Amino acid sequence: MKIDIVMPQLWQSIAEGTITRWLKKPGDAVQKDETLLEVSTDKVESEVPAPQDGTLLELLAQEGETIEVGKPIAVLEGQGAEARPAPKREMATATASAPSSPSSGGPTARRSGGRFYSPAVRRLAREAGMQSTELDALPGSGSGGRLTKNDLQRHLDGRSRPAAPEAPLVYSGDDVEVVPMDNMRKAIAAHMVRSVQTSPHVTTVQEVDMTGVVKHRAAHKATFEREEGFKLTVTPYVASVVARQLREYPWVNASVDGDRILVHRRVHLGIAVALERGLVVPVIRDADTLSLRGLARALHAIAEKARRGELKNDDFQGATFTITNPGVFGSLIGTPIINQPQVAILSTGVIQKRVVVVEDDAIAVRSMMFLSLSYDHRLIDGALAGRFTRSVVERLASTDPSAAL
Amino acid sequence: MSQVTYLEAIREGLSEEMERDPSVFLLGEDIGAYGGAFKVTAGFQERFGQQRVLDTPLAESAILGVAAGAALRGYRPVAEMQFSDFITSGFNQLVNFAAKTHYRYGEPVPMVVRCPTGGYIHGGPFHSQSTEAWFFHTPGLKLVAPSTPADAKGLMKAAIRDNNPVLYFEHKFLYRRAKGEVGGAEDVIEIGKSHTVRRGDAATIVTYGATVSLSVEAAEVVARDGSEVEVIDLRSLQPFDREAILESVQRTGRLLIVHEDTLTGGIGGEIAAVVSDQAFEYLDAPIRRVASLDTPVPFAPPMEEYFFPSAPKIEAALRELLAY
Amino acid sequence: MTDIHRPEELIQIPHGLGPEDLKKLHYFLKLTQGFEDRLISLYKQGKIVGGVYTSRGNEAVAVGTAFALEARDVLCPMHRDLGAALVKGDPLRELMCQFLARGNSPTRGKDSNLHHGNRERNTLGMISHLGTMIPVTVGAALAEKMSGSGAVALTYIGDGGSSIGDFHEGLNFAAVQRLPFILVIENNQYAFSTPNHMQFVCERLADRALGYGIPGVQVDGTDVLAVYQATKKAVERGRRGEGPTLIETITMRLRGHSEADNFSYVPKELIEAWQAKEPVSRFENALLQRGVLKEADVQAIEERIAAELEDAAQFALDSPMADPEEAARGVFAP
Repeated sequence: MKIDIVMPQLWQSIAEGTITRWLKKPGDAVQKDETLLEVSTDKVESEVPAPQDGTLLELLAQEGETIEVGKPIAVLEGQGAEARPAPKREMATATASAPSSPSSGGPTARRSGGRFYSPAVRRLAREAGMQSTELDALPGSGSGGRLTKNDLQRHLDGRSRPAAPEAPLVYSGDDVEVVPMDNMRKAIAAHMVRSVQTSPHVTTVQEVDMTGVVKHRAAHKATFEREEGFKLTVTPYVASVVARQLREYPWVNASVDGDRILVHRRVHLGIAVALERGLVVPVIRDADTLSLRGLARALHAIAEKARRGELKNDDFQGATFTITNPGVFGSLIGTPIINQPQVAILSTGVIQKRVVVVEDDAIAVRSMMFLSLSYDHRLIDGALAGRFTRSVVERLASTDPSAAL
Repeated sequence: MSQVTYLEAIREGLSEEMERDPSVFLLGEDIGAYGGAFKVTAGFQERFGQQRVLDTPLAESAILGVAAGAALRGYRPVAEMQFSDFITSGFNQLVNFAAKTHYRYGEPVPMVVRCPTGGYIHGGPFHSQSTEAWFFHTPGLKLVAPSTPADAKGLMKAAIRDNNPVLYFEHKFLYRRAKGEVGGAEDVIEIGKSHTVRRGDAATIVTYGATVSLSVEAAEVVARDGSEVEVIDLRSLQPFDREAILESVQRTGRLLIVHEDTLTGGIGGEIAAVVSDQAFEYLDAPIRRVASLDTPVPFAPPMEEYFFPSAPKIEAALRELLAY
Repeated sequence: MTDIHRPEELIQIPHGLGPEDLKKLHYFLKLTQGFEDRLISLYKQGKIVGGVYTSRGNEAVAVGTAFALEARDVLCPMHRDLGAALVKGDPLRELMCQFLARGNSPTRGKDSNLHHGNRERNTLGMISHLGTMIPVTVGAALAEKMSGSGAVALTYIGDGGSSIGDFHEGLNFAAVQRLPFILVIENNQYAFSTPNHMQFVCERLADRALGYGIPGVQVDGTDVLAVYQATKKAVERGRRGEGPTLIETITMRLRGHSEADNFSYVPKELIEAWQAKEPVSRFENALLQRGVLKEADVQAIEERIAAELEDAAQFALDSPMADPEEAARGVFAP
């Protein structure tokens, strides 16, 4: 029987994917789980496997084409038993049918065949005169990236503010190369704009003496690399301190939902990872429960995954606070934009040896670093931001170089 | 004001109405000399006499038929079913005679049927059932299901004063567990009006009877994570407060219906239908239900616990609904 | 009691009934018969909504029992008790409208047949579920006892209906509470098509009264005066506060269960035997023999009845059905 191969939903909020490369051509025999093609989306690059043994009959989309999620991209002639449709989750099964595991029947936003909008979202959009393309571009916070009524309401509340008149772009044809944004760039752009529209940003900067950290690292890095097979960096030190301090300052580990504050009980650290095409922010869950070594392993694993383009949906979801490190590119101080719906982001600058005044007015050469915290001024006041940053600074500065790893 | 139990509130409602209106009388099995299986009418026979607190033979159809006949002759009988489970033995009298008489020839049948209902009491298949859905489907019957002493008293007064057959579902689990203040002699709670026991805008729970307090408990737990859930206690099942449900769902966009009765064919299905019919464009998530299993009520405590809705089950459903 | 095989036996006129009473009884019997003739005719013309259930063979039970009641007494006629409704005062026009499902009928077309009650006339409206009205009428008797009105309450049940649970529950309740209640069994040999031997095996249904500790009597249901007399005794007993009575009347249903039923399941000989005791002509013949009525009187009564029924039928035919929207009204009392 003929089976449609459709553009997969690779990440919660994506609506379309671009075909990077076909690995099979019409007439090729394929085995179940064998890769048919590679696709790229704004966040994820992935391979699409064959759902069962068969022969590829027809390609419905070519390399470079961008196809809506759920739309067919190829036709496979299946072999043997009829293809079983992918198990669908029921929309609204009452828990009574499975009381011991009520989550098994829970509602999940439908995704096949384009993005699902609830009746309430459709009504709001219609009343606001929104086009479907405008709706499609909005990120969602619901199950599977669904655009919730609250998401749209927040967007509309923001949109109703008078926008600055857009200056027309003036350029002369030959002097400019016009490059269409890829999906990833579009998503980053939309997210950045949304974040600054959502949160009034304020950035506070403090300087930290990293000499203890640097010495500690120097003392352990050879052993560490031998044991773990990768290099020990400074980032785990920062992440470790930050994760523990977030527990002490719960409002920094929070979200704002309308006029409610959602204080997260768990600490999931987002770690900005620079890729060639742009920035991704995978998450390390329950970072406050990991040791320095554990954090180092987690950071390494996630960075590797990101570089290999293997990050999955889950790897992006649920961060409650983000650390970014422009210091690797030599930046002294960053003023980062908050990763919504979080309320703060910490930026670490480059570590430089500087001459500083130490105890008893003595002058010393120390390894210094600037920490900058951008925070959502709706929730976090300057005092809280300062105290939180100070606590991170103090704990990093007091790192004992002789402590065990 | 002093605190009384749910059972005492029912007793107060009954005795005040009997004082007020000589046409009110009680009939049922063991209600007189013994004071009722649950002692709701303890002391009534001494106070109001044998004629107005009538011990009857063990015959539910006769009790209900006699009540209907007396109602047609100007009395306001309050018939007690010893357990609401036993009402089936008199089903026909209610659904075919009492319910249809006013529609057929315009004579009112003002009678109350007291139905000690529900489970969580290790009562097994024949002493734990929620029977309201059978009658919910019958035009001509009114159904009330109080969850607090104040409602128990106020709705008893309303039921007795109503000119229609009213089934009064009094929850056995709440008899001595629910305590609170009650209203005075003229605090009559209008049949058909719900009570919003908790305000919120993240989701709406519609429930009644013993699951009201369980729903509030679940809502409190979820509130710790920042989601305020509205809880509506229907109080009256027929007619039920469509306006309050629709108003709330239009604000919250999310609806969870909780009832102790079994799921399929329960009242929750009708509420879901009304909401999807009249507030479809306000829904931001599928309507969900938490109810008992579609089985008879099992006897042994672990199975009973598995069967009935509980605060954790409600909380789990609520969290899924909120995450949608 | 009366031997049903001796139809020639003269009807005994009980003490206390004068010639006017006898003429009234005769009139109501004839009126019942005439009304049902009219119904059958309207049915054949397709003017009746639903089925027609006549009381052929049963007229004396309906008329005789109701005649023993006073206005204050509560009566719940069943579907073969048109005569009882007439005696109790249901107007012909109203009844005809009820059978024709008109908007001005007692049920505004929402129910048919004799399914209506009236508070002023102290009647209760039956439902189709046989036996249901026994506890309901017992409830009315309880109300009369509580109010001290001195009234009694009476209803009927068939040989078939005597098998249903409410028969037992209702009678037992009334017996325990010593209520002024009378249950009249109309034993007309067939419950739809089911003969008595498939319905019960006791010799006399009246004997069931023993089980309730109350009197049970059996009377010839084709003898309106015997029925009247037995009922009168039960009424007096009820008024004295001595409790309920079960009366079994023996009759024969002389037509099908409804007009749609050709009752081929009844042996011809049985019908013929009972035709000899047809209750209306039996009583008329007795009155003629005793000189209470003359042939001319009978003719005059028949003419009067024909005119009354013509008026009622025409009134009903001219009456409109209720608005369809009426269907949505009146579920609940205000």
